[in-house]
Amino acid sequence: MSTNWKGLAALGCALVLIGSACGRDDGDDSSSDSDNGDSSSEEGAFINPSEDCDAYDGTAGVDGDTIKIGTIRPADGPYAIYDQVTSGLDAWVESTNANGGVTAGDGNTYQIELIKENDGYDPGRTPELAKKLVEQEGVFAIVGVIGTESNKAIRDYLNDECVPNIALATGSTEWGRADEYPWYIAGLPSYATEASMWVDYLEETNPDAQIALLYQDDDFGEAYRATLQKEIEGTDMEILAEQSYNPLSGGSTEAATVSLSQSGADTFIVGLGGTPCPATLTFMPDTWTPETFISVTCGGNTALSLAGGKDVGVLLAQAVYEPGDPADQDQPAVQEFMTNGAAGGLDEGQLTGGISSVGWSFGALFGAGLEESDTVDRAAIMNTLFSLEDASFGLIRDEMDITTDGGEDPWPLEGFRIVSRTADGSWEEVMPFNNKNGESNEIAG
Amino acid sequence: MKSLRGVGPVQSVLWAIALVVLIVLPFTSAPFRVEQYITWMTIAVAAGGLNLLTGYNGQISVGHGALYGTGAYTVAILVTDAEWPLLPTVIAAAVVCFMVGVIIGLPALRIKGLYLALVTLAVATLFPLVIEQFSDLTGGSGGLTLTSEQLYRGSIRDRRVKWESPIDGLASDQWKYFIFLGISIVCFVVIAAIVKSRVGRSLVAIRDNETAAEVSGINVSRTKIITFGVSAGIAGIGGAMFALNKGQVNPTSFTLTLSIYLLVAVVLGGASTVIGPAIGAVIYGVFIDVIAPELPETLESATPLILGTLLVAQMLMAPSGIVGWFHDLTEKVSRRRQGGGKQDKNVDVTVTTHEVVAETDLETDPGGFHP
Repeated sequence: MSTNWKGLAALGCALVLIGSACGRDDGDDSSSDSDNGDSSSEEGAFINPSEDCDAYDGTAGVDGDTIKIGTIRPADGPYAIYDQVTSGLDAWVESTNANGGVTAGDGNTYQIELIKENDGYDPGRTPELAKKLVEQEGVFAIVGVIGTESNKAIRDYLNDECVPNIALATGSTEWGRADEYPWYIAGLPSYATEASMWVDYLEETNPDAQIALLYQDDDFGEAYRATLQKEIEGTDMEILAEQSYNPLSGGSTEAATVSLSQSGADTFIVGLGGTPCPATLTFMPDTWTPETFISVTCGGNTALSLAGGKDVGVLLAQAVYEPGDPADQDQPAVQEFMTNGAAGGLDEGQLTGGISSVGWSFGALFGAGLEESDTVDRAAIMNTLFSLEDASFGLIRDEMDITTDGGEDPWPLEGFRIVSRTADGSWEEVMPFNNKNGESNEIAG
Repeated sequence: MKSLRGVGPVQSVLWAIALVVLIVLPFTSAPFRVEQYITWMTIAVAAGGLNLLTGYNGQISVGHGALYGTGAYTVAILVTDAEWPLLPTVIAAAVVCFMVGVIIGLPALRIKGLYLALVTLAVATLFPLVIEQFSDLTGGSGGLTLTSEQLYRGSIRDRRVKWESPIDGLASDQWKYFIFLGISIVCFVVIAAIVKSRVGRSLVAIRDNETAAEVSGINVSRTKIITFGVSAGIAGIGGAMFALNKGQVNPTSFTLTLSIYLLVAVVLGGASTVIGPAIGAVIYGVFIDVIAPELPETLESATPLILGTLLVAQMLMAPSGIVGWFHDLTEKVSRRRQGGGKQDKNVDVTVTTHEVVAETDLETDPGGFHP
């Protein structure tokens, strides 16, 4: 090795030594304002930060009358359509601030500041963005992160740091593990509970149903498949044929749909999300007219406008008011959304498309947690959200009994009604609303 | 021609500055940023491996993202299923990827150019699907999380692995940074040694004219296959670092887009230069992780378009990459200082077959080792 390289190596070693003597260590980060004896540590509360957190700062992100929150979503790439969910969350923040802010349980009114990060739906990028939000931006909570895998990628980190992750934009059965991950609370019903509602409907209307199942080959589709298999056990129903679809393949569902149409099934379940869901409806041969169920994730006008008119008659388990449905437009929650959402920056397509309204409800869930908590504190808001009693927020239907109870019942949304799509783009109820409070984890097995 | 030993004063100063920056960065940056730096390192290492194959040997691969992913999954499986300690898995990933690279490289004996690119394109496209197909081993679309047993909420649970720093005053992210910086430097030293060696000259000779290389006594088949293997092994090390840094792997992280990013890093920094891919990876990382998030929201979805436009502009203004452009600049300054003297033909960024064949036994620097 020449003198030059020896010199560089020596310089490097010296700098590392100096750096380790002068630089930060793990305790220097934004979470270092330890306050383990926080007032939120109520006896018997689901989360007790003095026991559960190494370094707890319950009021991080609260600066005077402003609360900073963050979110992570795909703003580019093939899943960028889900950015409309975040547009809804953004609109809730904008309109809430314009109307004066959120009056929290401590009597003070707070403005909300939302910081958005883009992971392109790649869970490999989500962890560093979550750390950026927590460590650099110093957010109080994270709200409405999109995607099961993205949320899983940051689950250990956020739970270790005791940072709330509220209204996860996914219905994976994973979010039922609140005893292990108490800083996570779902913003959608469990996909398993949704599938069990389909079976409830079939038991009433077609107890000998012969089912053709097309499901997404991932955690999302697998939840539908596993629940269907479990729920029809002991009944006269049967899954006659099934096909999986891998969204990473870039292919279409046409061959799978045509194959299923030859099975003789009288019931077709489309356990797909995104554009492949309405596309599948277009691939159904005209000679095959089964009762068709679609996933709640593609029940909005934006998605069904891609079905080429073949969405008429499809069945859906519905938990929310649809702003695009003429039958729901008199509901006060919908009218508030249409007025304030427009003021918050949503255009007509977003207002009635059925995607942004989901993000709006995520913001409303966070707001409800703030309003009901005695103090603006991270643990306090989580404890509030895990002890809801007959709450209401956003565009969730009034029939929904929103009740939670810590690890015993961590799901806020556990009810649906079954509706059928009509030719004028509205939904007609074919089975009344049914709440399955406290059953979601059991249904998921 | 210059050698590693004969680094000029300008280059020495630049190397010293680079070293200082690399060492000071983790002490002056937030932990999340340090993790981003590590991600850039993983891309740099994989792009360095790709450069050996594409830049020096002329075999175009659009499938190195799959090899990077293979390295990542090797680490994840060994840590989660076989409970290996973390760092030895990097070596295992390199070995596995070397073997996979040799197998993928077999068609390269019969086909080249665009046809080889198509074969590797198929590998990159199929990789996420293969991962999902073997979901019992790979976790399917849910991926794998690198876990260890840790105490949490009063019970021992499987939680994501953590890097505990054994040095007082050095945070866990800083410790991880220096471990991966060390691995990256070793990889680039190995690449530089290969490029400087007789083997390196063989690579360039094959790239420029296979027939002439064979006539000169080079075993073309063996060299091409081994190059594919070594290049894949290095890409696998990049993937292994990725898995250890993130603590999880998922098929959506290893799509065709990743393979294209690796090619972009090589071309942006300068193909056929040892350090070019690292510079390309850093520039790409700065754009994606530092500049793009600061763009106005209306431009956020246009990030790929902006990046593409900038790449086209760079190709027009500096087709030989950043390192090539820098080299041309220093050459011009040098010539000007010498009063417009003759150009030294021996300092070209790339070397032609004629030079290699003529100088087979001389001290040559086929690709250069420029900062």
